[in-house]
Amino acid sequence: MRLSARLTERQRALQKFIEILVNLKGQMCGLGIPLVDAFENIGKENTSGVWSEIFMRCSGIMREEHVNAGKAWRKALENNRNLCLDELDYLQIRDFGERLGKSDRYNQEKVLELEKEKISIMERKAREDMETKGKLYRSLGILTGAEVVVLLI
Amino acid sequence: MEKVHDNRSFEELFQTYLPERIRNAVGNIEKPFIMDLEELRIRAGFPLMAVFSGYDCYIAPDGRLTDNPHHALKVSPEELNNLFYLLCEHSVYAYQEDIKRGFITLRGGHRAGICGTVVYQGDEVTGMRDISSVNIRLSRQIKGCAEGVIDSIIRSENDIFNTLILSPPRCGKTTLLRDIARLVSQGAGHFRGLRTVVIDERSEIAANYRGIPQNDLGPRTDVLNGCRKKDGIEIALRGMSPHVIIVDELGDRRDAEAIKMAWNAGVRIIATAHAFSLEDFKGRLGVGELASKSGFERIIVLGMLNGKRWIRVMDANGRELNFLNQDNRMPFDTHRLHLNRNETVSQADREAACAAKIY
Repeated sequence: MRLSARLTERQRALQKFIEILVNLKGQMCGLGIPLVDAFENIGKENTSGVWSEIFMRCSGIMREEHVNAGKAWRKALENNRNLCLDELDYLQIRDFGERLGKSDRYNQEKVLELEKEKISIMERKAREDMETKGKLYRSLGILTGAEVVVLLI
Repeated sequence: MEKVHDNRSFEELFQTYLPERIRNAVGNIEKPFIMDLEELRIRAGFPLMAVFSGYDCYIAPDGRLTDNPHHALKVSPEELNNLFYLLCEHSVYAYQEDIKRGFITLRGGHRAGICGTVVYQGDEVTGMRDISSVNIRLSRQIKGCAEGVIDSIIRSENDIFNTLILSPPRCGKTTLLRDIARLVSQGAGHFRGLRTVVIDERSEIAANYRGIPQNDLGPRTDVLNGCRKKDGIEIALRGMSPHVIIVDELGDRRDAEAIKMAWNAGVRIIATAHAFSLEDFKGRLGVGELASKSGFERIIVLGMLNGKRWIRVMDANGRELNFLNQDNRMPFDTHRLHLNRNETVSQADREAACAAKIY
């Protein structure tokens, strides 16, 4: 059951990240808010869920250490590896901040769209895993439980 | 007169925006000189340069001031690139409108002018790439510098004269305008203070940073930041019902039309323009007619002589009403070096440039 729940959590986390990207695009490209503040705003929002802490930390690192979003994001992510993500997911989102803040609004919009597309593919994959593997883990759990009961009897 | 920025504000600026080597060099400049620092000129592949009260010299890696470029800290292209991103807070898109105009307004009202390869799309400047140099201009609000002229532009306890400030560049027009704005807004003596709108086209007067004016413009002042004068005057008249509108650097024919529109609405105008004299301004196409008898009622002309700033206040007929000498513009020794640069420069280098400054 725990493995199945983990798959559900993973899919939810990626879905939430897609929502955050839409929010970030609005703040950056629509309102022209600098990254350090946009990250902080996202971190403060209740709707950011498990990502809230990472965005807050990232904003804090940028503000205190005057580093770019790429470095700050990697550092924030390394210190927060308690999300229900696979190692591959971590690798995929590790470079998320790398191209942020380095070009004009038009270009940043494209960067965020590309990032959203990438996360959407990951989220689709996570959903498939949840539906197939999740069912399998649940069935296995029930079968194991039944087997234990039979053995005890 | 009170210079508003202290060393602490500059230290914060250096900590926030400068790359490490440059920060260390500038941070090591002797504290008394920092108070006279006006500009930091940072060029890729060239020695780091500073301007003190109009006099420029190089900065060595240990913070010594020198006129020998070989002793100075040489700025690498990577450092300049890093500086550019730091100035933009690693968010170029957030500053793209500023970059198009060639400068970025920094926290504390300071400003960084940038040069590089300008990118066009059609006829419009869309950005800048390959940044080659940055000029950080340190802003200082000098509170009280308009106290000598404010009485000349007050008409009654709740009205002022339409006033035009004229001077060549770097004589302190904007500094004076800023202090006039503060006094007109807060009041002075029997004068009660008026609702004022500042149209700050180039973010120089209020120096807004994320919506917050970094300079004190008084309690009755609203600021339209980054707005063209013509648009700003229209917006102010429509929405803010001001008594006074303040604009910097008239020059365009459309500026003249907008000012006449404000006059027709009964609003007073305080403006500045680049000109050496009233006659010089009157000869300008478009805006020159604003200095006629039915236009500005007070003309303030600024100039520099031997490092001292003078201020002449006239009425619309050119009759002198007031004349002031302000001798605090440039410290004596800095001025001496500035005037006799060729002869004294090597000696000055031995004396660590401005070290002879008297306090």
